[in-house]
Amino acid sequence: MSPAGGFIRQVGIFCHMAEQPVDVDPAGENIAGEAPAEEPEAVTDDTVVHDDDVELERTIGLVGGLAIGIGTMIGAGIFVFPGLAAANAGLAATLSFAIGGLIALLVALPTSELATAMPRSGGGYYFISRGMGTAYGAIVGLGLWLGLMFASAFYLVGLGHYASAVFAELGIGLPFSPVIGIGLLFGVALTALSIGGTENTAKLQNVVVGVLLVVLTGFLSYGVLDAVGVFGGGTVPEQFFSRGYFRVLTTAALVFTSYLGFAQVATVAGEIKQPSRNLPLAMVGSVLIVTVFYVVTIFVATSAFGAERLGEFGETAMVEVARDFLGLPGAVAILGAGLLATFSSANASILSASRAVYALSRDALLPRKASEVNLRYGTPHVALLSAGGPILVLVATGRVELLAEVASFLHLIMYGLMCIALLVLRRRNPEWYSPSYRVPGYPLVPVVGALASFGLIVFMQPASIGIGVVVMLASYLWYRYYAGDVTLKGDI
Amino acid sequence: MTDRLSILVPIRVLEGESVPEGVPELLAHAHVVLLGYHVIPEQTAPGQARMQFEDRATERLDEYQEMFEDAGATVERRLVFTHNGQKTIDRMIAEHDCMAVLVPNATGPVEDVLVPVRGAIGVDRLARVVASVFGEMDADVTLYHVADEDTTDDDIQTLLGGLADRLAEFGMDPSTIETRIDRDQNPLDAIVDVSDGFDTVVMGETDPSLATFVFGMPADQVANRFLGPVFVAQRERPSADEDE
Repeated sequence: MSPAGGFIRQVGIFCHMAEQPVDVDPAGENIAGEAPAEEPEAVTDDTVVHDDDVELERTIGLVGGLAIGIGTMIGAGIFVFPGLAAANAGLAATLSFAIGGLIALLVALPTSELATAMPRSGGGYYFISRGMGTAYGAIVGLGLWLGLMFASAFYLVGLGHYASAVFAELGIGLPFSPVIGIGLLFGVALTALSIGGTENTAKLQNVVVGVLLVVLTGFLSYGVLDAVGVFGGGTVPEQFFSRGYFRVLTTAALVFTSYLGFAQVATVAGEIKQPSRNLPLAMVGSVLIVTVFYVVTIFVATSAFGAERLGEFGETAMVEVARDFLGLPGAVAILGAGLLATFSSANASILSASRAVYALSRDALLPRKASEVNLRYGTPHVALLSAGGPILVLVATGRVELLAEVASFLHLIMYGLMCIALLVLRRRNPEWYSPSYRVPGYPLVPVVGALASFGLIVFMQPASIGIGVVVMLASYLWYRYYAGDVTLKGDI
Repeated sequence: MTDRLSILVPIRVLEGESVPEGVPELLAHAHVVLLGYHVIPEQTAPGQARMQFEDRATERLDEYQEMFEDAGATVERRLVFTHNGQKTIDRMIAEHDCMAVLVPNATGPVEDVLVPVRGAIGVDRLARVVASVFGEMDADVTLYHVADEDTTDDDIQTLLGGLADRLAEFGMDPSTIETRIDRDQNPLDAIVDVSDGFDTVVMGETDPSLATFVFGMPADQVANRFLGPVFVAQRERPSADEDE
């Protein structure tokens, strides 16, 4: 039986969360004299309660949570990586995606426990700062913020590739590659939209994810039938580990960016309804769903062309796969889906980056000003701009693989530390720590989750590791300089 | 606890909405659940808005609470930051067991109350709201029904008479209760036309249907076109948890 079976049973049992007290008392102040905002008094199924009569409404349901997770993840794994992964690992890229999914699951389970114990905004940063202290929290929090910028830039470059493919499809020859230009354009547009737009984008996100899943399911079903020979095509016979075993792991490290979305669900944990039920279901559910889609996608794509040729198509390889199966309509459908998916992933990441800034500024690790809300639109323009600006610089580099790996690096550090935070909290067992969901297979799952997260980093390119380490170091130094006196650790 | 009925008064506290003139007096005999809420876009975390706006909102709510208490009401209050105002209002209705929601519009002293009655469903709750809010005021209540072709006068008399009896049972003076019937008109237009001569309207909530989905709740439409305060008596809610 998979861990998921027991997991769903366990989640099914509890039905209602009573008022759960919050007993963490942050203290100290930063260099600007700002103290961390006081913690809420209690969290309920529907609200976070402050000062008795001030409430923060929880408005995201299970569907919304799944849409955040899947919507953030699916853009990369299906629409950007198949060609790149096949070029690196051959047919065994399928295994790379499976490994990534397994690691994500090993982290998603402990994250679920932490999230039900602390259903507050900030996600991994919040759990680690409360479980392990301010220094770790600062490294993870600032790292998460920057990591999300790298991720957004990566999605925007992917979006640029798809938009360029549209031009190619229309037969419009351009004397230069428009990929980066389009990526920048969408980066500016998305930032502006996030600051000035007040439309109900969550509903839209749900619809986009629904449409994507329907298109992909249809396309992949056809592809699988074709691959097993129903339509007479048959698989191109090929050696599974054509590029060797080591490449499987380096490719797993590269494509791990496809699994970053479940942590974004934890970033909005404070806004999820019935958190004790919906948080675990949304996080673990979204990981399981995208893993299946990824593995099937790579299988179908490599079956259609063989890894060698697939690799030559690069970022938009899936368009060629669709063309091979279904002709022009297939290519158009996947082009459209790719645009939607990369756009929604970039959007979700920018919004998460802004949430990360809020969490940091609430805890006085960044200036309070950084999370300021403007009066006209009610949006956090400083946080959005401070994400949008650097993202444009990163997009301008156009280095898809580097951007992806740095994003993964910074997230993997957080994932590993979340597993460790869980181990720390379980051992000390402070009074306020009462998760309603408990990770199965303790302590094995979090231990393996931590080892696997840190282990995967080893297989990245030296440049990615270098940038990641510099970001961590800078984060630590910022903490020492700016907020060395702030203590966030829960009483344990 | 109190014998007064809980009436929800939702106010978008940071968007210039305030307690209009006459409303505190209108609710002098009620238990007011004063909800100050602020709807924020999804890009913003509710806690983020709270850090910035809580003080200002609290200040205003203090002021409003005092206005209601001075008029004689008992008050309970909440300040909520939310992405979804409707969800917050619905939750308040359920948590505080509110019999009616007031759409707050300005009014003078209340002398004439219009109570449009659609059918027998929910009449009991409607009666309790009318009796408890207006029972101790010196106001005339007009029970109003817009009948279609198939409804006989007897049917209507049973409906409105039944309601009048309930009001009398709750202690209202029968001489202050009138009935009025119109036929063959669009009920909504008729209610809005008639309401011109009244100070306030009390009507029941409609069950959600395709028509209410497309055109909005009749009570909301009346509230938009009638410029005075409208009480919307809430239908009985199943206690089961709703979920997406």
